[in-house]
Amino acid sequence: MSDAVIEIRNLSKIYRDFWGRKKVQAVKSLSLDVMKGEVFGLLGPNGSGKTTTMKMLLGLLFPTSGEMKILGKPASDVSKNEKIGYLPEESYLYRFLNADETLDFYGRLFNMTAAERNRRADELIEMVGLGKARRRQLKEYSKGMTRRIGLAQALINDPDLVLLDEPTSGLDPIGTREMKDLIVQLKAQGKTVVMCSHQLADVQDVCDRIAVLFQGELKVLGRVDELLEMRNEMQIRTSALSDEAVADIRKVLEKHNIKDAEFSRPRADLEQLFLRTVRESGERPGRRFSTEEVAASGRKS
Amino acid sequence: MDFDIRPYDFALATRSWLMLAGALTVICLALALVLSVARNGARGIGIFTSGLKSYLDDLVSISPRRILALTNLTLKEAIRRKALLVFVAFAVLLMFAGWFLTDANERPELQVSVHVTFLLTAISWLILPAVIFLSVWALPEDIRIRSLHTVVTKPARRLEIVLGRMTGLGIVAITMLVVMGVVGLGWLYRAIPSTSRSALECRVPLFGELFFITADGQPADKGLNVGDVWAYRSHIAGNTRARAVWVFPGFNESALTTNEQGEKDLLLECRFEAFRTIKGSEASIKKGIEAQYTISHNPREEAFGSLSQSESLRPLADALRDGQFRNAADRMKELAQRMRTAPDELRPQDYAGLQFGLTIAGALLKEMKNDSFGDVPDAFIAASTAGQDLIIQLRRKAETQSREAVSHEEFAATLDRVAAGLAENADGLLEGMPRTEVPLPHFHVSEYHDGEESINVTAVPQTLRFVADYETLARFLARIVDEWNAQGKLLDGSSLKPGLAETLASEAKISQLNAERFVEVLQEQLTAGTVQVADNQLKVANGKTWFIFLDELIRGEKLVSQDPQGWMIEKDLMKDMAPNGYLRVEVACVNDQMYLGMARPDLFIRKANQSFAVGYSKALINISLMLLLIIVLGVTVSCIVKGPVALFFTLTFFLVGQFFHEFMLRKLSGVEQGMGTFESAVLLAQHRNPQVGMDVSETAQAVVKGADKGLEGVLWAFSNIVPDFTIFNRASAYVENRFDVPLMECVIPAIVVFFGFLLPCILISGALLKFRELESK
Ligand SMILES: Nc1ncnc2c1ncn2[C@@H]1O[C@H](COP(=O)(O)OP(=O)(O)OP(=O)(O)O)[C@@H](O)[C@H]1O
Ligand SMILES: [Mg+2]
Repeated sequence: MSDAVIEIRNLSKIYRDFWGRKKVQAVKSLSLDVMKGEVFGLLGPNGSGKTTTMKMLLGLLFPTSGEMKILGKPASDVSKNEKIGYLPEESYLYRFLNADETLDFYGRLFNMTAAERNRRADELIEMVGLGKARRRQLKEYSKGMTRRIGLAQALINDPDLVLLDEPTSGLDPIGTREMKDLIVQLKAQGKTVVMCSHQLADVQDVCDRIAVLFQGELKVLGRVDELLEMRNEMQIRTSALSDEAVADIRKVLEKHNIKDAEFSRPRADLEQLFLRTVRESGERPGRRFSTEEVAASGRKS
Repeated sequence: MDFDIRPYDFALATRSWLMLAGALTVICLALALVLSVARNGARGIGIFTSGLKSYLDDLVSISPRRILALTNLTLKEAIRRKALLVFVAFAVLLMFAGWFLTDANERPELQVSVHVTFLLTAISWLILPAVIFLSVWALPEDIRIRSLHTVVTKPARRLEIVLGRMTGLGIVAITMLVVMGVVGLGWLYRAIPSTSRSALECRVPLFGELFFITADGQPADKGLNVGDVWAYRSHIAGNTRARAVWVFPGFNESALTTNEQGEKDLLLECRFEAFRTIKGSEASIKKGIEAQYTISHNPREEAFGSLSQSESLRPLADALRDGQFRNAADRMKELAQRMRTAPDELRPQDYAGLQFGLTIAGALLKEMKNDSFGDVPDAFIAASTAGQDLIIQLRRKAETQSREAVSHEEFAATLDRVAAGLAENADGLLEGMPRTEVPLPHFHVSEYHDGEESINVTAVPQTLRFVADYETLARFLARIVDEWNAQGKLLDGSSLKPGLAETLASEAKISQLNAERFVEVLQEQLTAGTVQVADNQLKVANGKTWFIFLDELIRGEKLVSQDPQGWMIEKDLMKDMAPNGYLRVEVACVNDQMYLGMARPDLFIRKANQSFAVGYSKALINISLMLLLIIVLGVTVSCIVKGPVALFFTLTFFLVGQFFHEFMLRKLSGVEQGMGTFESAVLLAQHRNPQVGMDVSETAQAVVKGADKGLEGVLWAFSNIVPDFTIFNRASAYVENRFDVPLMECVIPAIVVFFGFLLPCILISGALLKFRELESK
């Protein structure tokens, strides 16, 4: 068998009520493979079945029909969990534990020794930036902090396959950036990452391949760069042009029969703006930025 | 409840457990298969087998570290959720309990009972709700807020989750119990007034078996009924031959207690019911009815008592019981003769009674292993076998209504053999089966008013001094003569030793007057030549044993006591009265026209007291087992249903097991009277009574009765699935009533019941959690 870490064949899921009546068909004959070492994005609008698919992969839900193999084992086999890290949609953790206890608890579930657990906990808490809050109970945590400790517990066992359900939800842009960096880093370590999201920008930045679900059906599946490449458009980027230069260029284009060229100053996307602001605020505290400054620094970067 | 200790039938319990567990396994597997097929069609079978395999895999890959992690989690949760607040409630309760409980005027025993009852009740009813809620809520809450998702996506097996939960909650419960138990014990010692503190003890009873002897001297299962609706106690009539007889098996040195003088005593504690037919004098009302214990050792009664079951055998049985074996031999011969000539005069029940009596006698005589009985034991056994054959033939004849005569000759011949044996070995039999009866001083049983029962504790010294009856005296003197003969202490040349009376009085512990009388009689007989000196020993002239010789003398009134006290002799309670490891105590009512009522637990031997702390700890152990069982049940139920529903089920289990378990068993075994549910409903609707029956067609009747049968089946299943919670509280009841908790009958069974439920519950809950979707709401 090739390097498929996850194989899904004709997977369907129908949610039923107590009496066995059909409520929703959340997933409809889904088939896809996730290869070893890639970052795979599951996309789709709310309610399209992303979380459902992931839960079936983990054995939390039982499929109505279809086959699944995850790390070469059936989804119902608990031993596969040894090498899987899972970050749920919301962090479902024990709120009366503090960060240290949380990581220690999950570490024990992997039968890790005390020394190993401590080492790993220190690393992870450092990584997710909760050093100051590690002794506080999770019920006092903000949403983003909860998300971070959730991520830390998902990585406690140094998994080969990481399943992230909306990893960036609830995170501030720095967190989002860090999360994306982390995903790239995981990929560099040769791990496989599967993430769900409807935040296209995030997906676009990190994913190698994506699948788009809509009402439980697979609509698009392919490599991100291929999917996003637009063959009938061309973009030119220069430093700022004078109006005469623009007029000249238009003439040249008209000569080539291109009449619908668009000229405008590019905008930084908000994410970049936010990131920059926060970064520079850290360097020069107590200062407010004017629009010009922001634009100028945007050009600089 | 009574404090009657009944042994727990471990073999039966194991057998029914295995049967039920087997049935349950089969049912569960079949159910799972059917469900799987119903859901998934043909693929269901494959899913079922792979599910089963993965379940078995889980079983073998259980990891203690993971269970410990989950246990730890449960503990932290309980602490951080403030479950330990129950301690505050407990402390408050204890602080103010004193206002309601102390009443220095009460009898010490009652004060102690009230305090202990309060404490044990407070402990169990404070922890109980906490434990029920924790166990029933933990898992459903975990599933609801989905924290379980994060756990099950780790390598934790679902079985381990269940185990971790159970262990953690168990530790919580036991911690609560131990803390409260220790604090409570300290409180008891402070709260009970110092004057009553000595009653803080655990009595250790040794219970016996009870049967009765009727006013005409025959053994019976029950005594009289004086008209109580609840015939719990049976009565014996005063001033008749009626007796209540307790036999205490397993009676040995350990049943005795050491009194203040350092001597060994037998303590008999009783609480009888006094029943009067006349008021009597004022003094008698105040004192109560007189009763008397007699300690007896009577192998003849045991061997031959059962022969007296049927009326026509009474004379024979009485002769045997009185030790008149020659007379008995004649009667036996008569019986054999009657059987040959007029076999139909004896009714079938006479044959059955005779055969039964012969069997018992044969077995017991054989057990005594006495050579001087000759072939009597074997003759009895042979007769019993022949009797058995005859009874079978008679029954067959009755069934087939054949006219063919059945030969009684064989049975009659064996009876003749018994008769011959009895006549031949009469003296040996009499010698080998001594009857000793030691009457004890009278005591009073007052009528009880309103919960105040009259408890009597009688101390019986190990060395009994009592007035001997003829037979006992003859045996006693004969033994002295035999022993002293052997030691050469009787004779000086060919005459009695001078000063023999003095040595007799001091060494055999009889009064000087009686000793002198005995020596005098010996001298008379020596002079008359009925007693001779041969080989330096005093011998009976006609070659009979001393016992037979002296017995005849005593019966001939030749040895009447000169002492106003009578012939006082000494016997050892252990050696002389209970040589075979059991003690027989008879109770008589002395006053004419008065009755004493008694039931088996009303009289017991009190062994040395157990320390209160030990009995109390045993009660706590049983309470903790109850709490653990509730946890196990609660967690199991909560694996499949939501919190409130799980709470409902667990409470139902507990309440039914606590209050209706006995009722269910009684109903099933038919002890509880009444119609089935549906039949009763029909009767009710038709305004008819059970005797008249339902006014419906025959088919309708069959339907209604069938439905009732079905309901009974459900009840049966229920009674076996719902644990008998009373087994856990029984220990508390013992301690509350100042009894020790018997280990084998109360603590071990509770442990066994707990584990009997634990194992299936773990397996079932593991499966329930494994094969459910955690998502479905
Ligand atoms: N427990 C459930 N019971 C019934 N229906 C459910 C359940 N969970 C999800 N669904 C339904 O299944 C469909 C898919 O839900 P799912 O949670 O997989 O969507 P999603 O793609 O993760 O959406 P989102 O982006 O909002 O997280 C939805 O229509 C949802 O209503
Ligand atoms: Mg989702």
